Amino acid sequence: MNRIKNSINGLTVVKVLIYAFFGLFMLLPLLSVFIVSFTGEPTNLLGSLTDPAIFNSTLEKFKNISLDNYKRIFSGKGYFSALKNSLALAFTVTIIIILVCIPLAYGIARTKMPFKKTISALCMIPLIVPTFISAYAFIIMFGRAGWVTQIYNALGGEGMLLNPYSMAGVVAVQVFFFFPYALWPLVAAFKVSDISLEEASQNLGAKNWFTFIFVTFPLALPGVISSALLIFTVSFSDFGSPIVLAPKELNLLVVEAYREISGFFNWGGAAILTVVMVIVAAFFFYLQHLYTKGKNYGSVSGKPKQQKLIENKLLTRVLSGYSLFVVLIPLLAMLSVALQSVATTWGKDLLPSGYTLNHYKTIFSTSMGNIQNSIMLATGALVLSVIIATFVSYFVVRQNSAKLDFIASIPLVVPGIAFGIALIQTFNTMPLQLTGTAVLLIIAYTIRRLPYMVRSTMGSMRAIKQDIEEAAVNLGATPLTAAITIVGPLMLPGIAAGSVLVFITVIKEASVSILLAPPEWAPMSLAIFQNILRAEYYSAAAMSIVLIVLVLVLQGIASFIGKKQRL
Amino acid sequence: MGSVKIKNMTKTFGDFTALHDINLDIEEGEFFALLGPSGCGKTTTMRCIAGFENPSSGSIYIGDREVERIPANRRNCGMVFQSYALFPHMNVFENVAYSLNIKQLNASNPIKQMGIYARLLTKRFGKYPEDLKNKVMEILEYVELENHAERLTSELSGGQQQRVALARALVMEPAVLLMDEPLSNLDQKLRHSMRNTIRTIQQDLGITTIFVTHDQEEAMSMADRVAVMDKGQIVQIGTPTELYSNPSTPFIANFVGTSNILKGTVEGEENGFTVVKGEGFLLRSSNKAKKKEVDVIIRPEHVKVEAADSVIDHAMTNVIEGTVIMSTYLGSIVRYDVQVGSYQLIVDTTYSSGANIFEEGKKVKLTVDHERVLLI
Repeated sequence: MNRIKNSINGLTVVKVLIYAFFGLFMLLPLLSVFIVSFTGEPTNLLGSLTDPAIFNSTLEKFKNISLDNYKRIFSGKGYFSALKNSLALAFTVTIIIILVCIPLAYGIARTKMPFKKTISALCMIPLIVPTFISAYAFIIMFGRAGWVTQIYNALGGEGMLLNPYSMAGVVAVQVFFFFPYALWPLVAAFKVSDISLEEASQNLGAKNWFTFIFVTFPLALPGVISSALLIFTVSFSDFGSPIVLAPKELNLLVVEAYREISGFFNWGGAAILTVVMVIVAAFFFYLQHLYTKGKNYGSVSGKPKQQKLIENKLLTRVLSGYSLFVVLIPLLAMLSVALQSVATTWGKDLLPSGYTLNHYKTIFSTSMGNIQNSIMLATGALVLSVIIATFVSYFVVRQNSAKLDFIASIPLVVPGIAFGIALIQTFNTMPLQLTGTAVLLIIAYTIRRLPYMVRSTMGSMRAIKQDIEEAAVNLGATPLTAAITIVGPLMLPGIAAGSVLVFITVIKEASVSILLAPPEWAPMSLAIFQNILRAEYYSAAAMSIVLIVLVLVLQGIASFIGKKQRL
Repeated sequence: MGSVKIKNMTKTFGDFTALHDINLDIEEGEFFALLGPSGCGKTTTMRCIAGFENPSSGSIYIGDREVERIPANRRNCGMVFQSYALFPHMNVFENVAYSLNIKQLNASNPIKQMGIYARLLTKRFGKYPEDLKNKVMEILEYVELENHAERLTSELSGGQQQRVALARALVMEPAVLLMDEPLSNLDQKLRHSMRNTIRTIQQDLGITTIFVTHDQEEAMSMADRVAVMDKGQIVQIGTPTELYSNPSTPFIANFVGTSNILKGTVEGEENGFTVVKGEGFLLRSSNKAKKKEVDVIIRPEHVKVEAADSVIDHAMTNVIEGTVIMSTYLGSIVRYDVQVGSYQLIVDTTYSSGANIFEEGKKVKLTVDHERVLLI
């Protein structure tokens, strides 16, 4: 009894509030989507709790529970082919990325190839650019009037080198813009594998290529597999490139789900697609987790191993040429967008017919609101996620709250479009009618990006020794005061790093913005998306450049803070 | 200021019993040491007093108050942590001022509270009231750190950090001062001077102080009374001299100073002495034995070494015959390892220059006075 009394303090209240937040805005929507996938009609779970009439109608709907929707998935053509196509896309992208990345990672990790630094730096570009912009950039390059197509035709080719409006187009965009997700884990894997084993192999008479295939590669295999699983989830959940590029006859889960909800208001269909998406993404995420759990190949003792970098001229030159080709394509894509943003017209000839800054003028006069919206929404999400993540990591690190740790990482496995659908469905009626408000948008951003923030704050929380906090309590501070005056300030570097990440990803976010943003709160990403749909390519390009510059500036600030902290 | 009483306290972590029926009665103004090997429960005991752990059963009184319902932040126990736990983002002054700020925070209205939070969080708004400032500077002067007030704690030496931690705990005028291994992070030389500093401050302020240590020398030299703990239990409580001359168990005899511990059987009484026989020895003790099978405790410095041919009056003292296995010259003393039966006894003799040191392999006679043979 007394023990219970002792433990009730400000912190306990905060913990309850955090659970309530996750419960209301994450678990409830996912649950309600799950239910709707069976009933086929929207059910108002929150309303059922407050209003008896709604409760009765919900009960009525429960009686209609059937597997009809699920039968349709396996009998009907539409949904099943969407699932098949999505899996095929993710699978193809994964295989290609791994194949593309192995030489690249090997070159960076183990050789003295020329331009290594430049190549590594250029690998950052894809991470900065939202996929719907990269997809759009591929249209500028490979589309019917694209400059690559023109060069191709001039060289005697027929039609298009690569049709961007096709499965191949989506695959190409995802390969060139998602490969860094696999590259850096692979580089790490190649770096930690023990050099002496390779030397042993050579000493036993093996040739270099033989050593690579039978020693080096198997040692790096855990890294390869875990990054493959990661890529699979990323590609499967990606909304930006399919929504821009996928043609009508190519139905992918994410696009299908979006159309069901925004075109036909088919709640049952959208729900079932959402459930399928979450299950597939969660399954692959779980596989990756399972696979990496027992293996900490990354954590070698503090003593740096001597790595002998390969200097063979032929090999390093070939690798360098190849790597430059891979990283040059995203760069060219971005330069194309930049060029289009200052072009009067572009498409007839290889280069634009004239140059102008009018598109930027237009943007800053008519679309300033979108930029403001983006910044305000991102700031809102940032503040909310800082507060929540700080307390979540406190509870996880200090009170070993494994449950909260688990809950806070659920957003990682829920594709943005699925989460958006779940939120719309849950909050479009009373008593909590939030659909179409900025509040729901901010909450959606927050929950989606919270895992990044939590990871960052948890790191710095772990670095604060428990006794520092106890000292504060001993000196008279309540646990909450201690958290505010001691733990908070000490966590600042972690919070700052996480904040920038959250801010950037929120500005880049496409799926949730497109689904949830009301017109008066349309952020930049939604404006670009609508411009692309309306074929207003020049202003889309200019807005994209503004977005990318904003992200770059933020990234610059982040690395500046990071450097200062280290000094 | 207050006394500390602990009654029948136990503490379990799952299946593990960390503390078993602890009873302590620490007087006001006393300097009390909890001594024991690592894992004996001494730190847990202290954490229970501070309120960081809740006892599974039993009760703790600080002054006359039963403290079970009082959370750690309102117990008013100043604590000096083993790692000092200084706030790394605050300078020396801010560290020491922390508890005063908190006190003010609790006594102010919400608007004033904002101001106090502001000065807790950043130096820029660090406007401290004069009386608070004076109080901090006074205590800093007391620990001779008044010139380091603006330094970051990471810029201080170990000894200075220790004094900041001490000042930070003292400034809140705690009912009890708790110190967890306060000297373990200091080098040998500093440790000696800090011992004196702490002892002087404690005497000066007359503050009830409990300190935890695994170093018996530290406990014996500083504390008024010492509780020796082992395996979650208190084995003996006493003044340092009591513990040394009357250890209640062989564990204490060995833990508090060095001892020769021999297994013996009580043969009977003779002229008021208890006669104990063991492997290779027969001893008379002025102690009364409580049981038949006893542990015979002899301190190394209570044994004298005589040449094998010297004539000794057996009625006046005990005589044991043995062979020197090793002699170690330690400056002011010479330590002999002497084989007696199956035992190797340690014998410390004071060395005066020019005296003879018995060589290895030499047969010797050891003498121990009757009152120096302890039976437990």
